[in-house]
Amino acid sequence: MKRWLGPLAVLLVCAAATHAVTLAQAPAFIMARAMATLADRGVALHAFTATPRVTPQSQQVVRSSPDLTYALCRYDLGEPGTSLAVRMGASPGYQSLAFFNAQTDNFSTLRGTGREVSVRLLAPGSAPEEGAVVSPTERGVILIRRLAPDARSFAAAAEAGKADQCRLVAGEPVSR
Amino acid sequence: MRRAAVYLTAVVAGAALGLGSALWMAGLWPPGRNLAFGDVDVGGWRSDFAIGSKAADPYTRARVARHGLLALAKSEAVYLTRAVDDTGQPLREACTYRLSGAVMPAGWWSVTLYDAASMLPANTDNALSIDAERAGKGAWSAVIAPMRPDSAEAWISSRGAGRFDLTLRLYLPEARLLADPNAALAPPRIARLSCGDGT
Repeated sequence: MKRWLGPLAVLLVCAAATHAVTLAQAPAFIMARAMATLADRGVALHAFTATPRVTPQSQQVVRSSPDLTYALCRYDLGEPGTSLAVRMGASPGYQSLAFFNAQTDNFSTLRGTGREVSVRLLAPGSAPEEGAVVSPTERGVILIRRLAPDARSFAAAAEAGKADQCRLVAGEPVSR
Repeated sequence: MRRAAVYLTAVVAGAALGLGSALWMAGLWPPGRNLAFGDVDVGGWRSDFAIGSKAADPYTRARVARHGLLALAKSEAVYLTRAVDDTGQPLREACTYRLSGAVMPAGWWSVTLYDAASMLPANTDNALSIDAERAGKGAWSAVIAPMRPDSAEAWISSRGAGRFDLTLRLYLPEARLLADPNAALAPPRIARLSCGDGT
């Protein structure tokens, strides 16, 4: 009996470690796959891509709402000194500008019903600034939602989306 | 040599056990498990208000990453999901249901039908949800069925959905909903009217 204690302990330690690592890595793994899928489907890096009206045939991510319009921007602030200039055009109905990091966390959301919203997205570790949000990770996704339950409001939201912006801003050259 | 093989088997079995238990407990495996989980349960509509935030436990974070990717934090929206009718039976395409509710404590709301893979069902009925604007003010109801009902009631199509669930989105939730969801929210009811297979 005693000779099985060692293997049993190894089994339990391996099970616990694998369990913890799997849970810890799952969001980043799923987000990385989702970002790759979005890229494959034409969602641009550093530019908003408006998705078609959500239908069973056009849906791109799980649990999309057919009553909302979506515009997505993938970002990568890995280049030193870069930031992102983000703007959500004015729309008469409900709209929000939501930031998600590479761990799937919704680290900031700005509401903008009836008005334009502009903000800068700074790289991880940047000092906080007025009118800016610091991203916890280098890569992530920005998502604009606009209420559009019918064709008329969808057209209005699409018009508002023409003013959306997600532009990479180069920083000062790094001196050596 | 035999001793080494025993230890190697323990490592492989342990890793498999850890991987399988993590995926199962997080709702990632086997495929087809839904999002009806969490610490909030209002009349069978379940949610975890930590969705979208770092405060969510690792199981919730993993499950939401799979089934509710890019969901908003609770200050902007809360999501409640239900996969059973008022008698506790799983929701399925073969049956017809009446979904009914009252005024919601939020700026805007919708109820949308998703299949077991968390996707909109593959039909062309253009009847995937009901929302605050279509429901109007006060009490509201909709029929959930694979075919459009003869009545003029609002319709949510379950055609092609198989086993499905419903997600209630509450945008701009009132503070009282976040503080005490059971007191603030009158949960929509799901009455099973009939089933095509006679059950």
